[in-house]
Amino acid sequence: MKKKYLVFGLFAISSAYGFGQSITNPYPKKKIPKSAIQILYGQYLQDGEHSAITGGIGTENLQVYSPEFIVGTELDSLRSYSVDAGIDVITSASMDNIDFVKSSASRVSTRAYLTLAYDQQFKKNPNNGLGGRGYFSIESAYLSFGGALSYTHSSLDQSKSFTAELETYFDDLRWGRLNGERPLQLVYPSELRYKQWFQAYLRQSFNLTLSFQQTINSRMVLAIMPGISYQQGLLSTPYHRAYFAEGTERVENLPSKRWKFPLGIQLNSFIGDRYILRTYYRFYWDDFGILANTFSADLGIRIMPQLTITPSARLYTQTAANFFKPYQMLDTTMTYYSSDYDLSAFNAFELALEGNLAFFKRHVHRIEMNNISLRYSFYKRADGLYAHMISTVFNLNGFKKSSRKNDLSDLRLK
Amino acid sequence: MKRSVFFLCGLLLSFVIFSCHTVKPYQRTYLNDEAMQTGKRPIEKLSSNAHNYREGASGGGRAKTSGGCGCN
Repeated sequence: MKKKYLVFGLFAISSAYGFGQSITNPYPKKKIPKSAIQILYGQYLQDGEHSAITGGIGTENLQVYSPEFIVGTELDSLRSYSVDAGIDVITSASMDNIDFVKSSASRVSTRAYLTLAYDQQFKKNPNNGLGGRGYFSIESAYLSFGGALSYTHSSLDQSKSFTAELETYFDDLRWGRLNGERPLQLVYPSELRYKQWFQAYLRQSFNLTLSFQQTINSRMVLAIMPGISYQQGLLSTPYHRAYFAEGTERVENLPSKRWKFPLGIQLNSFIGDRYILRTYYRFYWDDFGILANTFSADLGIRIMPQLTITPSARLYTQTAANFFKPYQMLDTTMTYYSSDYDLSAFNAFELALEGNLAFFKRHVHRIEMNNISLRYSFYKRADGLYAHMISTVFNLNGFKKSSRKNDLSDLRLK
Repeated sequence: MKRSVFFLCGLLLSFVIFSCHTVKPYQRTYLNDEAMQTGKRPIEKLSSNAHNYREGASGGGRAKTSGGCGCN
C-alpha cells in the first residue's frame, strides 16, 4: 500500500515539474553579457645608450604610462561593436636632444588614440562574418587615420577557422598639433634646419593579415598567420641624426617604400588539467634587409581554479638593415643611411611572469568582475638597451537593469 | 643546415595537421579555455608595443611604423 502511495507521489511531483517546464521555455535564449569592459594600464621604463636622435649615441631613457579603456557591446547574437580609447603619456630624455635642450630632465609628450569596431555575422550563415574598424591617433609629431575590413569563416564543427584582414593607415608626420605650434611642419634637429630635407610628410601603410586556425584534438590548437605589408611615403624619422665618417652630419634617410613579409605559427596545448603551454614562432623578412626570427613560450600553471601563474620567455634575433651603420661610421656615398639601433643586428630576450585571478560571478549592482591579470616583464637587447614593463588588465561585464533580471530568472530556472 | 631545419619544421607541421581529428562540442572544454585562444592576449599588449618600437621586424600598422610615432 505504502509503495502505491510512493509511486503515485513521485508521479505527481514529476508531472507537476514537467508541466512547469513546459510552460517556460526549456531552451531559453542564451543570455550574453551586454557589455564587456576592459581596463588596461601599462607602465614602460626603458634605458639605453644608442638614441637615434643623437645619431646612435646618447640616452634612450624613456617612460611611458598607458591607461586604456575598451568597451565591447553585443547588440544581439550576431552583431557587436567596441570602442577602444587610450592615452600614452611619454617622458623621453632623448626627445630633448632634438633641440639639445639640456635644462629640462626630459620632455613630456602625449599620444591619444581611439578605435571603433563593428562586427556582424551573417544571419543565414552565422559561421561567416564581416568586421570593420576605424582608427584615429594624435601626438605632437604625428596624426594618423586608419581603417580595416575583415572577413571570418568558421567550419560548422568549429574545428577550422579562417580570418582575412586588410588594414590601411594614413599618417601625417608634421609637428605641432598638440602644442599649438604653427605652421605645421616637419621638425629636424636644431642644427640641421637650414634646409628642407624631405618634401613628403605623409606615410601610407597597407597590411593584409591572414589567419588559419585548426583544432588538432580536444587539447591542442594550431594557428598559422601569414601577412604582407606595404608602406610608402616618408619612412624616415625627420629628427634622427646621422653622423658620417668624414665628420659631416645629415638627417636620417630611408627608402620611401617598404615591403614586409611576416609569418607566425602558434601552437597552444592543454597538458593534464593544470598546464597550458603556448608556443609561438615568427619569421620576418623585409626589403630593408632585415630578417628576423622570434620564438616565445609561456606556461600557464593553474594553481587553483581561480588562480593561474604564467612564466614566459621570448627570444628574438634580427639582421641589420642594409643602410645601418653605427655613429660616425656612415659613408657619404650611401644613398640611404641611418644609425637607428632598432635597425641594427641584435639578439634580444624577454622574461615575464603573469598572474591571473578569476572571479566566478561576483557582481556588485550591474557590474560583474570576471578577472584581473598582472604581468611584469624584463626586456634586454644585446646592445645594452633594457626595459621593465608592468601591465594590468581588469575584465568586467556590465549589464543593463532589465538584462540582469533576465539573467537571474534564467539562473533560477536552471 | 637551413634546408634541414625547414624540412624538419615542414615535417613536424604536416604531422601535426594530418593528426587532426574531429572534436565534438562536449569535448571542447579545454579548447574553450580563455588561455587556449590564439593571438595576442590583452595583457601582452604593452610588451607587443615595446617589440614594435624597439625591433626592426614590426608588422605594418604598429605604433612605430604607422598609426603612431614611437620615435624615441
